[in-house]
Amino acid sequence: MRWCRGLVSEPWRVGVLFSQSGVMAVIEETQLRATLLAIDEINAAGGVNGREIVPVIYDPGSETGAFALCAKRLMIEDEVSTIFGCYTSSSRKAVLPVVERLNGLLWYPTLYEGFEFSSNVIYTGASPNQNSVALCSYLVENYGTRFFFVGSDYVYPRESNRVMRDLLQTQGGEVVGETYLDLRAKRTDFVPVMRQIKNAGANVIFSTVVGDSTIYLYQSYAEAGLNPAVTPIASLTTTESEVRAMGFDVGAGQITAASYFQSVPNERNTAFVARYQRRHGDDEPTNMCAEAAYFQVHIFANALSRTNSIDTDQIRPAVLGSDFDAPQGRVSVSAANGHTNLWTRIGRANRRGQFDIVQESPTPVWADPYLVGSGRVSLSV
Amino acid sequence: MTTRNRSHPTTRGAQSPSSEVLCLDIVAAVRPDQEGDALIRELQRSRGRVRRLWPLPARLPEDTDVIVAELVPELPQCLPWVPGQPMAALIAVMAAIQPPNLKLLRNCAPHAVLHRPFTANTVLTSLALARAQFLYERRLRGRIDKLDETLRAFRRVERAKNILMQTRKIDEEEAYQFMRRQAMKRRISISAIAAAIVDSCEVLG
Repeated sequence: MRWCRGLVSEPWRVGVLFSQSGVMAVIEETQLRATLLAIDEINAAGGVNGREIVPVIYDPGSETGAFALCAKRLMIEDEVSTIFGCYTSSSRKAVLPVVERLNGLLWYPTLYEGFEFSSNVIYTGASPNQNSVALCSYLVENYGTRFFFVGSDYVYPRESNRVMRDLLQTQGGEVVGETYLDLRAKRTDFVPVMRQIKNAGANVIFSTVVGDSTIYLYQSYAEAGLNPAVTPIASLTTTESEVRAMGFDVGAGQITAASYFQSVPNERNTAFVARYQRRHGDDEPTNMCAEAAYFQVHIFANALSRTNSIDTDQIRPAVLGSDFDAPQGRVSVSAANGHTNLWTRIGRANRRGQFDIVQESPTPVWADPYLVGSGRVSLSV
Repeated sequence: MTTRNRSHPTTRGAQSPSSEVLCLDIVAAVRPDQEGDALIRELQRSRGRVRRLWPLPARLPEDTDVIVAELVPELPQCLPWVPGQPMAALIAVMAAIQPPNLKLLRNCAPHAVLHRPFTANTVLTSLALARAQFLYERRLRGRIDKLDETLRAFRRVERAKNILMQTRKIDEEEAYQFMRRQAMKRRISISAIAAAIVDSCEVLG
């Protein structure tokens, strides 16, 4: 508790923790840019209760241990209590004990495998019931029941596949192969994987490969002569940014489930994309992770304007239950679990590096991180 | 762990310390003044192995049960762990005169505090308190990890139960019993048995 409030002109300082180097930089830099865009917008409109938001930014360089140390530094040396950051589940789990012990608030703008709750985290990315459930049904209906799992070797892919395996089994499907590659896997490492996929007679390749090796997966797929109309790669993590890095023709026809695509047709999104590109370049696509990074800063600022205190014990209750007109549509933070109620969409990449939305939920889907009600009731998507 | 619910000793040496604070490995990063020497002697009275370090090293050793360290501004950086994941009990040593730096105290997250000048009973009670708090925290963290895992395993066990009920035409209770027996026989967890059932069902189609 802060007993003495600072001067009115004193800025609100917040921590920002996304990798600008290393294997995760491609996607995490988009989250950094979107965070800074939102902060700029808020400051341009006069700040929060007349006070500017000032980010303290560190680059953990895609190293899990560095995330924990940077979080410690932010909270102890920079005396920051609110941190926007983390893409991988390993980095979130590294920061978690720090924010829990020092009572900080981590804003986590990335989809993840679910099965977590912390009073010191606001989750603004999708839980499995907001992407995996719909994706699984769509794939079984349109491509077949034989899934091959390819993932990066860390916590998210294994946990996410555990959920997908469960969902697939309830749909009468089967996993015909499962393999994990190092986060630093090279292009050549994917050649034998393509052979395994062909031999297994898979209908769908479900990928939880993240980081730079995502590009190698899709490029190896294209070289192996597989056809996305027959055996697509389906992913929860391949966004417009990865498609741009691998080449539009390489990504075309592949499937991704997400709460946001750049192609979402509404005015708010058009404005968001325009501002993002004005600041970062016309050819820089937005993506689901950047969009969550963007809207979560606005939800934070709205709550802060009501509490006028950045103290975690003050601001968290103001965040829970609040809603916001995000580029993806209206979203709200669940008071029950600190996760965000988001839209479910399935997109197919086209030759312009954008996703054609082939399916969409009629309303936001309630976050159910522990899958209490999912897999038993069919979702109306 | 043994709990002894005896009344508090009123005089020094009236009672031997409880086993929780005996024979611990203690790192003491305290100033080498007279009070510091007295502190070391008190710590040694607990029959612990006391390693004295000064000046404060850039990284305190982590292979110890208890760290007793001066609450100096650089202490948070010298602790060999990130907040929330302590590897040893931490006792912060505070000066008598200056007003306490509460922010620094919060950042170090110690399990107990010692104020100069030290008295015999306060050293031992701080040691006992810090050790007990640390162990309790560690048990709670362990319980949370286990609960997390159980929650994930729960869905798998449910699924395995349904498979058993269908394929073996048995009821719910019998299905659980079956998994429990198999788990005990193979000395693995019910969750692992459930995983094996789900996987083999998938292979068999």
